[in-house]
Amino acid sequence: MHWWVVVVWIDQVLKEGIRRVDEVEIFYADGVEVSADLKRTNVNIATRSDECGLGIRTIDKGRIGSSSTHNPKMWRECLDAAIASGKLATPQEWNGLPKELFREHEKICYDSNLTVDPQTASDLLGGMLDGASQYSAEITSGTATLSTATEMIVNSNDMRCTKQHTGVSISLEAIKGQSTGSEFAQSCFFDVDPYFVGERAAFLAFHSADGKEIETGEYDVLLSPIAYAELLGATFIPALNGRNVHAGRSYLANHLGELIVDKKLVMYDDPFKEKGLGSTHWDAEGMPTCRIDFVKEGVLSSFAYDLRTAYRYGMESTASAIRSGPNGGTAIGHHNFIVDGPRTDVTDERVIYINSVVGAHTANPMSGDFSVELSNAFWMENGEFQTPIHSAMFAGNVFTMLKNICGVSKDVRQVGSLILPSIKLQKQHLIGK
Amino acid sequence: MTEPSGIRYHDLRHVTGQATLIDIDNGVVESAGTSFFNRAILRVLGPRGWGILQIDNYTPRSTKNFHSLLASAYRLAAITQQDVNLSEAPSRTLDVPPMKENPRDVSIEEKTSLLADIEKAAKFPKVVNRRANYIEQFEQITFSDSEGHEFSYEICRSGFNVLAVASRNGTVQMGYERVHSIRGFDLRHHQECGEKAAKVAVALLDAGHAKGGKMRVVLDPELAGVFAHEAVGHASEGDLVQEGNSVLTGKIGIRIGNDTLTIVDDPSIPEFGFEPFDAEGVAVQRTEIIRNGVVNAFLHSRETLAAVGNGVAGHARAMNAEAPLVRMSNTFIENGDATFEEIMGTCNKGVLLIGSRGGQVDPGRGIFQFNAEYGYLIENGECSKMVRDVSLSGEILSTLHGILLCGNDRKMHPGYCGKGGQSVPVSDGAPHVLLDNALVGGSGVD
Repeated sequence: MHWWVVVVWIDQVLKEGIRRVDEVEIFYADGVEVSADLKRTNVNIATRSDECGLGIRTIDKGRIGSSSTHNPKMWRECLDAAIASGKLATPQEWNGLPKELFREHEKICYDSNLTVDPQTASDLLGGMLDGASQYSAEITSGTATLSTATEMIVNSNDMRCTKQHTGVSISLEAIKGQSTGSEFAQSCFFDVDPYFVGERAAFLAFHSADGKEIETGEYDVLLSPIAYAELLGATFIPALNGRNVHAGRSYLANHLGELIVDKKLVMYDDPFKEKGLGSTHWDAEGMPTCRIDFVKEGVLSSFAYDLRTAYRYGMESTASAIRSGPNGGTAIGHHNFIVDGPRTDVTDERVIYINSVVGAHTANPMSGDFSVELSNAFWMENGEFQTPIHSAMFAGNVFTMLKNICGVSKDVRQVGSLILPSIKLQKQHLIGK
Repeated sequence: MTEPSGIRYHDLRHVTGQATLIDIDNGVVESAGTSFFNRAILRVLGPRGWGILQIDNYTPRSTKNFHSLLASAYRLAAITQQDVNLSEAPSRTLDVPPMKENPRDVSIEEKTSLLADIEKAAKFPKVVNRRANYIEQFEQITFSDSEGHEFSYEICRSGFNVLAVASRNGTVQMGYERVHSIRGFDLRHHQECGEKAAKVAVALLDAGHAKGGKMRVVLDPELAGVFAHEAVGHASEGDLVQEGNSVLTGKIGIRIGNDTLTIVDDPSIPEFGFEPFDAEGVAVQRTEIIRNGVVNAFLHSRETLAAVGNGVAGHARAMNAEAPLVRMSNTFIENGDATFEEIMGTCNKGVLLIGSRGGQVDPGRGIFQFNAEYGYLIENGECSKMVRDVSLSGEILSTLHGILLCGNDRKMHPGYCGKGGQSVPVSDGAPHVLLDNALVGGSGVD
């Protein structure tokens, strides 16, 4: 649908909506995604997805309603459903949607050189296969996806924001005997390195073969950014969510102002991070974004809020509303969550390097307790991958673990919306076979 | 425009419907509303592989416009290199099981009130948060293909979850109950679920950590079902076998468990993973993945059956109008003949694991992990101290030999399974199972 056509009916929704409720918010997105998938070393599927969606939120005397549809022509039914849903919602303190804050056309995550076509996706797969050929491992599957989309947030307070973004993501999986390896990369810009991704996936499969067992005991470990992200995402990140904090679902609820991680560490959300996957000047409600210092020098300093939660609990919005798409409602999240600290050489002493874990999502989100299986774990010394570890479990508590970080790597990587270093931990409990 | 030449096969799956969600958090109705969806997927098999179009807000097209879509998908297929072939497969549709009470006949106000009763039932001392969600999704699915098959059906999946969080002196624990079904509205008289979630959360405040290591474990029917799903089901999926990414590749006819062990996937039974036909229009039927301890068959789509063999098609599934993947549906360990008392007595010393917080498998490596909601240490064949945060990991090809006894009390439990970015409804089930030499992950120490 052309944008000038969209604007016409969006104005109709607003006009009809404010006749019936106090405020109306509209989210509209459309985009195109093209992907190519490998079955072993051959492309077997090419897909194009044409996506569009409309989400409507209404607020009337503190009652918030919402609905969504793939069909913008159904906006009347969608508006009716949103208003009907609001009538059932418990009223809450509400001080209004943002007013006339932005009108700019944001392209902070947009690359005009990114071509959304199947041949480009196929070429990315070819690049990964070239890289993978450096090691003797079989390729099992891979995918390359390119996308472009335009999003618009409009509300009845004359706020109208539009942004365009592009994306590229690639991944490859490899196997050597019964040893598997995988790697991935994501960017808003056409700057991913398919050769590196392919080489790394094959390396992990190749070098993990013929692993040795370890005895149950305490070991110094180095968590890669991937393993670290898996454990943080299952436990720590939800605990920073203001709604979880005030509703009694956060371990961190009563620890504001306390030392919760090693005092050399900082944790913050930087919505303006160059090339960050979540970089944006406004959040999913149109609030202007800013840096949020969740943890300063190890001390818990802030939680994340959207408008709904901030108004309810007498707090300020931190512009942390996010949307997974037009067909999902708003939720509290982050834009680019960053962990940083004094960078050191974390590979100078012998450690067990853990590339990723199996089952992080089964961790207890309330207590932070976890017990997971290691994946692509190696003995590492002087930065060199040495003997692979066949199998072991890693059990502990994320909140306790974060207090015992004894080193932060010099290099960082982006894992989804997290930008993390590797972290070194002393005396972690591993269960061998 | 005429149909482009060179197309070997095409199918169209159009999914429309509406989803109703109610969210009550500590007595506050956060949301209670309905959203609408309309999506289609057109698959075209070109000279080599697939070209696929996914279209939001799809409207059925005139023949000329449909041929234009076919041409677009065919052009996509031009970059493919894999020679994809489709096996012959029977097409047939089953009747969707009737609903005892149609959720459409119940107002959203009444649904909200009933859910609130369940949420209120979790109000116990030390419970600091109660949250209940109701989910109801009506889907209308229309399928047609170039072989002349045309099917359609409507199905409603509905149910609720209730969570209770208990807290004391900085210790935070949770209890969680869920009921989901394809058999109609089932929100009445379920306050006991709220109470149970609260009691478990409070009891877990005093539970200890299990000491990790190898031991005998008894899995309850829910967790044993997840065990079957993670340890065997995924590795039997034909696409993974075709890619060489499953340890069960080449293992047909090989014994990997004892005689008492039979593991089945059956999309035709009226459980939460029911499908009247699969996402390729193929008739669904029971597949015995493991029969009496021996690898018997893989789960297949038409493509993977042609490429791999050993099994039947009819196991292709899709979330909404996504591309079909080989998936499980209703997966279970068949009943044995042991009673629960015999299982506990034979175990003698170990841990009883109850409920599931989910699991994950690396099918190529043959390693799986899953987590119980809670458990009890078993001493002298009887439950003693409650333990929390207990997980179990193992290797597919060796762990199944450790199943010493299967009970006679199989139950199915609904849930959702993720693969390839798609989440589909499934059910897992089993009787109580005694597993020897299991690797338990816990952070407890002597």
